[in-house]
Amino acid sequence: MNRASPDVIHLVIPSEPGRVAEADEFLESALRSRGVPEAIVSDMAIAVTELVNNAIVHGNKSDPQKSVSLTLSFTAREVVIRVVDQGSGFDPSQVPDPLANENLLREVGRGIFIARSLMDHVTYERDPGGGMAVVLRRDISPT
Amino acid sequence: MKLSHREKNGVVVLEPHGKIMGGPDATLLHDQLHDLIAEKKLKVVIDLSQVDWMNSTGLGILISSLTTLRNSQGDLKLASVTDKIQSLLTITKLITVFEAYDSVDEAVASFGAATHA
Repeated sequence: MNRASPDVIHLVIPSEPGRVAEADEFLESALRSRGVPEAIVSDMAIAVTELVNNAIVHGNKSDPQKSVSLTLSFTAREVVIRVVDQGSGFDPSQVPDPLANENLLREVGRGIFIARSLMDHVTYERDPGGGMAVVLRRDISPT
Repeated sequence: MKLSHREKNGVVVLEPHGKIMGGPDATLLHDQLHDLIAEKKLKVVIDLSQVDWMNSTGLGILISSLTTLRNSQGDLKLASVTDKIQSLLTITKLITVFEAYDSVDEAVASFGAATHA
């Protein structure tokens, strides 16, 4: 882990499915050390592991030579998380609706929907480095 | 995630502990469930009381197991679903797919007397 500034931390992992737990530990540790409530920690852990899984499996095609980067930027009120792969990107609007009756028993295809449900904002963009970037935002201010 | 299992009245009770997020942990649960199916142990309860949370990988494993068991005239039932997982089942509408019970005993009993081998 490299600490770029007191409020921005960064992790890079190779595209191996077993590394998802490493991303989770990095995230949960960072959130707890900043006093983020447990209910928000678990919501963010679910959302981020969804997107890291997608980045490894779909973005980088599980190629261990490719990496996934995770950047957490904290303000007093909000955390912004950026997950970047080295893949060719995709159109999230083309993902089938997981709530449609015909898709309800599909084993895959819920990750983006779940991340959107748990976060305040989820956006997709091309990363300047060439991969796909997913940006998550969540209010972490005390209620 | 750690996984243990036991049998009660002819029903296999799986007890995962921790988080189900993908990677080797998820493979462990998937393989255990499919080993049971191969052994014709077709009445399965998953006790979720010790699962902190799961993501869509965990939900996918539950669905895979449910459909495989039901196609083999068996069934998968959930017990002691935590608030966090209940919330996920609700937003994904999977609450309409799974039978969930407040306790393992209730889930096991729901299989009925026919489960006594």
